[in-house]
Amino acid sequence: MVPVLFILPGLILSAFIIIYPVWELIQTSLRKVTRFGKVTGLNDFANFEAVFSDTLFQEAAVRSVWWTLLVVGGTLICAAGIALILNEKFHGRAIARVIIMLPWSVSLSLLTVVWRWALNGETGYLNHLLEQLGIIDGPVVWLASGSTAFTVMILIGIIVSIPFTTTIFLGGLSSLPGDLYEAARMEGASHWHCFRTITVPMMQPYVNIAIVLNVIYVFNSFPIIWILTEGGPANSTDILVTYLYKIAFKYGKLGEASVVSLLMFVFLLAFAALYLRLVSKDPANA
Amino acid sequence: MPDRRRSLIYWIVLSPLLLINLFPFAVMISTALTPADEVVSGDTQWIPSRFAWENFVDMWQTVDFGTALMNSLVVGIVTTVLTIVVSVPAAYAMVRLDFKGKTAFQTFLLITQMFSPVVLVIGLFRLVVGIGALDSLIALSILYCCFHIAFAVWMLRSYFASIPAELEHAAWLEGASAFHAIRTVFVPMAAPAVAVTAIFTFIGAWNEYALALAILRSSEHYTLPLKIAALSSGRYQVEWHHVMAATFVATIPVAIVFMWLQRHMITGLSGGAVKG
Repeated sequence: MVPVLFILPGLILSAFIIIYPVWELIQTSLRKVTRFGKVTGLNDFANFEAVFSDTLFQEAAVRSVWWTLLVVGGTLICAAGIALILNEKFHGRAIARVIIMLPWSVSLSLLTVVWRWALNGETGYLNHLLEQLGIIDGPVVWLASGSTAFTVMILIGIIVSIPFTTTIFLGGLSSLPGDLYEAARMEGASHWHCFRTITVPMMQPYVNIAIVLNVIYVFNSFPIIWILTEGGPANSTDILVTYLYKIAFKYGKLGEASVVSLLMFVFLLAFAALYLRLVSKDPANA
Repeated sequence: MPDRRRSLIYWIVLSPLLLINLFPFAVMISTALTPADEVVSGDTQWIPSRFAWENFVDMWQTVDFGTALMNSLVVGIVTTVLTIVVSVPAAYAMVRLDFKGKTAFQTFLLITQMFSPVVLVIGLFRLVVGIGALDSLIALSILYCCFHIAFAVWMLRSYFASIPAELEHAAWLEGASAFHAIRTVFVPMAAPAVAVTAIFTFIGAWNEYALALAILRSSEHYTLPLKIAALSSGRYQVEWHHVMAATFVATIPVAIVFMWLQRHMITGLSGGAVKG
């Protein structure tokens, strides 16, 4: 009896906030919901039709895919290089490490507020800095057009995802067996050869986990886009999460918002299953 | 000793990222110390003509910083206490006790960690509305607690596993009850791990934005991230020197604690799949 009592509170609480909301989402997605949140009768999948035929939804879905691909891809490439460097001994490594981990320590929403001010049209600090460095001639109004705004958002997304990913990679690198390298070196293998035949294959599980976790986090990432532009100008930077907030809390279309939520939930469920397979394959975790 | 040339090359390679990471902090500190008239004038300078320390005092009033700080503290503390109370026994059961469905419980926790509140936000919103707790800091804290359980149990589990069970068994042999053995042997050894987990939970609740945005409605209930974000997107002239001063105070203490503890984080985040 005792073990059950020990785990039961945690189990009930964490199960409840998954199961109840999902049930509620299914209910709401199938029904008519008034502006004031009153749920009435079934409406023959009208919410689904409305969502799928909304061009803003389609655009946001496509943008979500690009957002996730570019941020995760950029993060993995940068973090791999950084982890390889931080794994070596060099002067001032501890300081470099602290600065690289810095964005992780700050509330993403507050960091984005600072970026919003720094990106400020005419007189922002970013324009000031780039002019000082001679990179640009006149001020760039970063957030006024969708394409520059979205590019800036992707870069910020990459910067804030690097610390977590680098930490995973560093964990992996530190677990590589040193004697394997020594043996290879004795046989006359070059640095590059060692990297290709030992480091890359042995890091594979860590890379896989970094990909899956980052896809989940980045796909759900909300504050960067919401605080910089709320998906604007003219919805041109919306991804699914910001679209979801907009139709739910600005326009009060809870039925349609539930449909979007459910679609995202199914997508994430697939990735959670993938993650589970990766984790259970790891012998250290069996 | 690492050689100089290589160190220099590494620093040069890393420098773009280092600069980009430091840039927002420079902006925050510079603006927080710039006098109001210089901020408005639009003549951006890294070093203001004088340090306007009064920004911090004025900010407290204009931002109503004290209220938001109290709200954040309430949410952070309630979340942390609840999460620890629920997670410690669960983590203990996972490392010390054998029971049916242990693997299933473990798997379930991993899955819940994958669902950020954002994707369930409508359902959570309707749940909170349904029980008449919209705009309630306590309701928000309970939701935060639910979302932190998985992370806390995973982190605690990996620490608890490193505390040898033999010590408790030895206490039993000396006639101590199981409860007494836990209290005198296990608790003191587990305390540091509990403290670390508690701090991470607190910081998680302190920093959260998306769910708070959906649940909290009246600005006197806003937590710090909500308050500051709302001020920065105000309809009227944004008092950026005040906003940056507030951001500074809300950020720096938490950032320092986090940097100090950051090496412990990976265990919880990656569900034990990656050894940190």
